[in-house]
Amino acid sequence: MLALTVLYDPECGLCRRAHEWLAEQTKHVELNFVPCASEEARKRFPQLNHDLSKKDLTLVGDDGAVYFGPKAWLMVLWSLTRYRDWSYRLARPELLPSTKRVVSMISQHRYQISRVAGING
Amino acid sequence: MTIGITTYLVYLAISIALTIWVARTLHKNGRVFLVDVFHGNESLADSVNHLLVVGFYLINFGYVSLALKLGYEVTTAQEGIEALSVKVGMVLLVLGGMHFFNLFIFSRMRRRSHGRQNNHPPVTPDAFTPVQQEA
Repeated sequence: MLALTVLYDPECGLCRRAHEWLAEQTKHVELNFVPCASEEARKRFPQLNHDLSKKDLTLVGDDGAVYFGPKAWLMVLWSLTRYRDWSYRLARPELLPSTKRVVSMISQHRYQISRVAGING
Repeated sequence: MTIGITTYLVYLAISIALTIWVARTLHKNGRVFLVDVFHGNESLADSVNHLLVVGFYLINFGYVSLALKLGYEVTTAQEGIEALSVKVGMVLLVLGGMHFFNLFIFSRMRRRSHGRQNNHPPVTPDAFTPVQQEA
């Protein structure tokens, strides 16, 4: 896999901030950012469930592999040179349940977190 | 020359010779490892190899020097040989420990560098979707 498309939520401040941070990191795999459920996203992936991609972070590989929610977060880590080791660590069977719980919690409360952190604008 | 002084000189000669021998062995045989770790970058491997050997010399000669003093009088040849065997034995154990520590560092570097080449995604995909190739 050489490239991943990140379907992110453009209405969430936290996600936009994460997008800026990710753009600056050195990567093993190219990351393309497309707002979720946008025209561009629908054009690229005509058969993807775009309502679901609005609920949680969704990644699509250049081979068509879809990663949703916590798996998508791990794949983002995996794409980064500095954090690839962490993606394997967090994906280990003994850690994966905790990883999923924490990541889902952040995803579900992303608007509240953005508001509290003052990065809504 | 008293037996005490002779003991010290023999101790120094044996310790220095042993240290040089182990360091050269490490230097010669560690190189292959390091070239592998640095993916064939030989100049970097040689540089790291040399730095490791310098550290090895410093620690071992430091220990040999600190452990020189006997702390008791040696009057007969037998006492001299006994004192020598204890001192040289300690030097050998330290050298052995350092040697395994070096091997540990080599193998860890190797494992790390190979781990970094791992290209498998950490998780399996949830689904597959057709991708519209951009025109």
